[in-house]
Amino acid sequence: MEMVSTVQNTDVKQKDADRALVVAVTTRAVFDAAAGDVYGMGVAFPLLQKVNERLLEKNPAESLLFDVVLIATDSQQQSSRIISSTSHYGLEVGRFCFSSREDLVETLVVNNVQLFLSTDRDEALQVSQKGVLSALLGRQEAPSESLRVMLCGDAIVRPDCDPVPASRGAAQSFSARLGEMRGRFGVSGSPLSIVLVTSSGGSKSCGVALQTLRSRGLSVDEAYCLAGAPRGPILSLLRPHFLLGDGVIDLED
Amino acid sequence: MVKMSLDPVQVKELNVSPSPNGDSRASWEEEEVEEEEEDRLGIATKTKPPKPENAVTVAVSSRVLFRTELEQRVFEQKGVEEYLRYQIEHENEPFAPGPAFPFVKALETVNARLRELYPQSEELFDIVLVTYNHAHVGIRLINTINHHNLFIERFCMTGGSSPIGYLKAWQTNLYLSADADKVREALAEGIAAATMFMTEKLTEVSESQLRVAFDGDAVLFSDESERIFKAHGLDKFFQHEQDNEDTLLDHGPLKGFLEALGKLQKKFYAKGQRLDCPIRTYLVTARSAASSGIRALKTLRAWGLEIDEALFLAGAPKGPMLEKIRPHIYFDDQMFHVEGAAEMGTVAAHVPYGVAQKHNQPQKPGARK
Repeated sequence: MEMVSTVQNTDVKQKDADRALVVAVTTRAVFDAAAGDVYGMGVAFPLLQKVNERLLEKNPAESLLFDVVLIATDSQQQSSRIISSTSHYGLEVGRFCFSSREDLVETLVVNNVQLFLSTDRDEALQVSQKGVLSALLGRQEAPSESLRVMLCGDAIVRPDCDPVPASRGAAQSFSARLGEMRGRFGVSGSPLSIVLVTSSGGSKSCGVALQTLRSRGLSVDEAYCLAGAPRGPILSLLRPHFLLGDGVIDLED
Repeated sequence: MVKMSLDPVQVKELNVSPSPNGDSRASWEEEEVEEEEEDRLGIATKTKPPKPENAVTVAVSSRVLFRTELEQRVFEQKGVEEYLRYQIEHENEPFAPGPAFPFVKALETVNARLRELYPQSEELFDIVLVTYNHAHVGIRLINTINHHNLFIERFCMTGGSSPIGYLKAWQTNLYLSADADKVREALAEGIAAATMFMTEKLTEVSESQLRVAFDGDAVLFSDESERIFKAHGLDKFFQHEQDNEDTLLDHGPLKGFLEALGKLQKKFYAKGQRLDCPIRTYLVTARSAASSGIRALKTLRAWGLEIDEALFLAGAPKGPMLEKIRPHIYFDDQMFHVEGAAEMGTVAAHVPYGVAQKHNQPQKPGARK
């Protein structure tokens, strides 16, 4: 008998469920079970928290904040250990969900997750095929001033085709929310940076991507048009924390 | 301790079939993208940009490719937010051509000729726009590229961070910018680079032949001889050159670019187009033919580099000679010569390298690209 149980984190002030940008991540992406270390999400967490802090600084009544849901799908992990580790590392997790691998997507949908973060490309792809927007967590070797969110523009400009990617709707609404959040800050000194990369199209198509995103309310900070050049060298310079593929994870490392 | 979470060894290759985007090419390998057909976005295969490792990559900043003085003033006087607002408001107004524009057009002419002769080859010029402008300006830049029918399919808009890393990632052979600091950074990283300035007077240049002119010392060659000249005067310089006539000069920052041009020239020669070659190179040096020039020529020969015309001015002003040659670009390490060339309508680019820099700092204020 499977049960998904959700536990609110009493250490953290709860966000407005309708207005927050709900982001989910599995414990696997946060904790290394054996060593109890924090990685992957570990670098992104403080930066994500800084975004929330800066938003609240500007407006203490701000409701468009990141709301993190931590999902445990491994029944081996003890819930108490997860909760205490979260507290120990000071992670701003709003809710814990104790679920199973089979119920992952359902858990995401039930919790109104707008972005699922993973270190596992297959997992991210499976989730996006079920209609929930997914992103990969980037590897980080250097500190960053801002949370860097990277969007792959190729999917944004492809004409509507059959079948439309399952998470296309989710991607559009996420861009709009993210754009609204980004818009709270000025051009310089923002704790959130939006990076657009187009891989195979030329400059015209990147222009279309920029305009499409702008029409959704998302203004991009940096744009890179590769037109077929190898992605690796550029990606290693870009150092995104979240890599979104708009329904298809089309990234090489 | 922060562990790395994305180990490429563990990540399995995606095999999506059919792709959710309806793309019949399922693999994510780069080779798949270059199949024989127009891609969805209308870039015909035969004019697809070449792989960086095969191409001669020329990176230009937005301020040298186009004229952006008005926008620069808005930035300097009113700050970045107002600057971006202004750019967006004027998005559908293309910028006018800047100092690097004729040079870039000439590169495209050479490409067209190369494609005729070698349709499958990727040994072409690849022009990349590298700017630390904010992506808000992107749409206006792209509109301008389209308006002028420029074939620039690649760009980096870094939103304020240094573009130098991207230059290396693109395997850049030459970087042209209005920002002397960025140019110095690039030179320090071993990338040929030069600072360009807008001139009011511009002589007409050829539309069918790319002409590139180089100063010798501290541009193609190292600044070792110039050091002697500056420290000990002309006589010592001549003596030193004579004594060392058979010793090769060390290479300078633009040697690699001359080499890249030479490789492309040989492709035309191989097809019997030596007389009609759309690339022509010039050495314009203050050295004199009879004496100090010999060492320069011997060095070039030893490097296996041909230069089409070597002009030894023996100290005479370069402006008039350049006005005759009409290069699309002239590289010199001394601002004195750059300014002199510009006065006569030649697009000159400053290579801030070597001992001359201690004597001649450019006076332009540093500003946003």
